[in-house]
Amino acid sequence: MLSGGGVGAHPAGSRGLGFRGAMAAASSGADMFDDIVMAEERFHGEGYREGYAEGSHIGVVEGRRHGSLHGAKIGSEVGCYLGFALTWQCLLHKCTDEKNSKKIKVLDSLIGMIRKFPYEDPTYDKLQEDLEKIRGKFKQVCSILNIQSDFRISTERSSLTF
Amino acid sequence: MSWVKVAVSQSSEDIFDEDADEIYIAQKEWNSTMKKRSKEGYRDGIEAGKELALQEGFNQGYRQGAELMVTCGQFRGTLNALLSWCHLNGHDSSLSKINHLLDVVGKHEEDVLKYLNSLQEQPHLGDILDFVQDMDLSDTAPAGTDCDATKAGKYEHTGSSGKTCCRNKGKDDSLQSERSKAKFGTNPERLETLAWVKEQTMWLIEQLGLSLDMLHHIQQLGH
Repeated sequence: MLSGGGVGAHPAGSRGLGFRGAMAAASSGADMFDDIVMAEERFHGEGYREGYAEGSHIGVVEGRRHGSLHGAKIGSEVGCYLGFALTWQCLLHKCTDEKNSKKIKVLDSLIGMIRKFPYEDPTYDKLQEDLEKIRGKFKQVCSILNIQSDFRISTERSSLTF
Repeated sequence: MSWVKVAVSQSSEDIFDEDADEIYIAQKEWNSTMKKRSKEGYRDGIEAGKELALQEGFNQGYRQGAELMVTCGQFRGTLNALLSWCHLNGHDSSLSKINHLLDVVGKHEEDVLKYLNSLQEQPHLGDILDFVQDMDLSDTAPAGTDCDATKAGKYEHTGSSGKTCCRNKGKDDSLQSERSKAKFGTNPERLETLAWVKEQTMWLIEQLGLSLDMLHHIQQLGH
């Protein structure tokens, strides 16, 4: 409804000046009518501004509550994959035989995906899409490392299930 | 205007009273109409303000939540990796220790969530900044687990090359100077939890005879 800039501006703020110009000079009755309309708009506008301030506050609080939970969930999940992958990368680096190099390659790929992923940006349009790809890659990592499902990321400990 | 004079001279009081009634009624009507307009405006304003602020609030909250929780996630992922490695390599004696550390991290996550929720009731940027600073664990060693000189030296060394664990933390640097500010919340032990987990994990890694790379990785957690 509102364009940027005029925060709290009343949408009916500008009135038909042409009407006033034509009628005011002719009769004082039109002037009075004009005054009534103006007063109604003024009261509406005062209420609007008050409501707008209140609504903004409610909206921010409500939005933040939802947003912080959502952000915490994704931040925790992505951080978890990164910590997991970086640790395994360290664990495998000391012996670099053929078998390990394949594992390291998959780990590197997962780490690269996470680093490129702007998980902290809620306006990123492929947030969910990229997250699904990372989840898929993580599963691949677990399977190539021969990690049983009970020793993968344990979600039951976390208050944030993903 | 002669009729007015006549009317006034005849019975001025009656006419005056009638006028007064009319004015009174008109005034009442006027007041109620204006009250109605004001209420309508208020309702419209609330809707418009809320609509615009919801998304904005969501985005702010999301960033906070994501930035605060990513560190906990990294600790949890690291410990899970160690758990699976110990399991695969027959270090079963370390499993219970790692599981305990995972429980501690899980509890800490809950605390951070509670803190995030309480923050939304009264959003002040100062509190958030304090909390973000507290997440930086480099020189806030908990009581009884003092970092010794060698560890501190190691940290400084890795700090310069250590960009691996955390992206988007550039602004932390500008906050370092304000570190002395009061700590968040009512329970100061909370912010020392991850520092303690870090110490314990490093100790564990030394016990398992794991590489120096590994120690560097742990040291960078939370940065």
